[in-house]
Amino acid sequence: MSDFPIAGADAPAFALRDRNGTPLAFGDGESSAPATLLFFFKHDCATCDLTAPLVERLHGALAAEGLRVVGVSQDAPAQTTGFVDRHELSFAVALDTALEVSAEYGFDAVPALVLAGDPRQVLFSFEGFVKRDLLELTRLAAQACGAATPEIVRDEDQLPEHQPGCGSKVHDPDVARRLAVRRGAATLGARRVRIPIDDDPFEFMAAQGLDDGLPVVPPTEERVLRMLQGTMRPASAVVAHIPPNLAPATVEKIAVNAVMAGCRPEYLPVVIAATEAACTDAFNLHGVLATTYFATPVIVVNGPIRHEIGLNCGGNLFGQGFRANATIGRALQLLVRNVGGGRPGGVDMSTLGQPGKFTCCVGENEEESGWEPLHVERGFGRNTSTVTLFAGEAPRAIRDQLSRTARSLGASVGLCLEAMAHPKLHRMGEVLLVVSPEHARTFARDGYSKTDLRARIQEVTARPLRELLPDDECQKGMALSAIPRELLGSDGRPTPDALDTPLAKFKRDEDILIIVGGGTAGKFSAVLGGWASGTTGSIAVTREIRNERSSSA
Amino acid sequence: MSESLVILDPTDERAPLGRRPASRPDRLHGTLGIIDIAKPRGDIFCDEIERLLHDRFPQLDVIRLQKPTYTKPAPGDLRDEVGERCQAVIQALAD
Repeated sequence: MSDFPIAGADAPAFALRDRNGTPLAFGDGESSAPATLLFFFKHDCATCDLTAPLVERLHGALAAEGLRVVGVSQDAPAQTTGFVDRHELSFAVALDTALEVSAEYGFDAVPALVLAGDPRQVLFSFEGFVKRDLLELTRLAAQACGAATPEIVRDEDQLPEHQPGCGSKVHDPDVARRLAVRRGAATLGARRVRIPIDDDPFEFMAAQGLDDGLPVVPPTEERVLRMLQGTMRPASAVVAHIPPNLAPATVEKIAVNAVMAGCRPEYLPVVIAATEAACTDAFNLHGVLATTYFATPVIVVNGPIRHEIGLNCGGNLFGQGFRANATIGRALQLLVRNVGGGRPGGVDMSTLGQPGKFTCCVGENEEESGWEPLHVERGFGRNTSTVTLFAGEAPRAIRDQLSRTARSLGASVGLCLEAMAHPKLHRMGEVLLVVSPEHARTFARDGYSKTDLRARIQEVTARPLRELLPDDECQKGMALSAIPRELLGSDGRPTPDALDTPLAKFKRDEDILIIVGGGTAGKFSAVLGGWASGTTGSIAVTREIRNERSSSA
Repeated sequence: MSESLVILDPTDERAPLGRRPASRPDRLHGTLGIIDIAKPRGDIFCDEIERLLHDRFPQLDVIRLQKPTYTKPAPGDLRDEVGERCQAVIQALAD
């Protein structure tokens, strides 16, 4: 919609230059003209050609009475000169090659005429050619100058009553985008970094330590503004404080790092929600980062947004080739590095790390599951989109192509899970089990619920305490602090009777998080072991992804 | 100015604090804290350090402190206590 100022509005002041580079301003208080006529045009517009001689006549008739006429060209100097010479224009012409003044005036078509009184109040304005409007403008111009209305339209002109104008150059696609960047860039608060044009931006950013070992996309103003279209949240809003430095992560900083990671704007709400979840006290991102263990944020996405943004939930779930998966997880890691200041060898002290520390984001394959998806289990509606952050190891295989019953398959899953961290470590905390669609169908066929599966895992992993204690054969084993107090005697050691007490792999059934994921062919599931769990470690956190995309996205 | 590509700073833009560790004490005096970061068997290691300190520096007042968990930074109260009570600290862990 046009924002062209109408009668009574203020005509925006401007300061441009003419073709000789001489300053040419409007509304700066220097001119004492009782009225000013602004004539916006472009050189290749037939309606501008029709109008220009009439504006020249008006100038000739009323200049002496005080009317100031200023042409405003949307073209480069050479094209402007062609237009001026063609119509023998004698009034001043300003160059608006950057189109900022045209954009501020907000007209959709040229010619656009604005008659302003003293100081800048609009008396009359119109776009295109409308004979009646031109006559009215002439009358008002003369009135403002205290002169008689001149006859500027002659019978021999054979003017049409009306002729549409041509589109303002402001609406050319490239120009519109450039102008939007220029306007929007002023709203961005981040420090600007100039990379000399002779430098390779990828090498520059790597040299500054801003990358994760892979090249990052340079976060230009235009790219960051486009990324911010992915959210309605203000750029300056603080989403979280990112460990280890507990630095504020604004929406803008998240967008900058999302650009670097390669995200599309529609992924941004997922990155924001993941950042919120990761920076909770429960998730304990500081500890997840600092540990010598393998843990890293594993992002599980549920709900409709999976399909809206093309997040992979199927084949090669943890693998390469899917932009949303690859870049959302990477954006969170870059935020930790760049905003939080957490880097390998610094606060990140992981002994071996794992590939998921580049990126790890998957969608649950809800459509292939006979169970409630993870987010519904955790209290959200099926049509709500969520992220669940889990501090996990890399996935490892659970292979069973032979089981035809849920009970047998449940046993296989349990036996594989027993090796998590160490077979003698029982009463562990959270774990993420990823059941493949083929395995999910086996469970569904027998009506096996998640509760049944969890119970089966606990059943087959239960071992007598005596097998779990450190001994000469294997000095690793359960710490006394992990053994239930009722099994310990007054000396703090297990009582003889307690040694036969079976202990399951996991402290609580509900700590076995279950999702369905992966391709429809292959009787392979996966397990991602957890880290120190509970309030002294990390607890999985689920957050809603708010449907907050800008309508202009 | 020559042409350049302008990017937005992805960092927190806080200048490095340049915080340096306090200078090492040239002698042990007053109160010395031993902080156990709460890893398994840290207490055994800290007990041994405490015993050695008592033997070699009998004039030293040794106190024991413990983080609630090794997975998180020391809470503010503990840091304050160290600052108020101790002339030096030894932070120890075992595994």
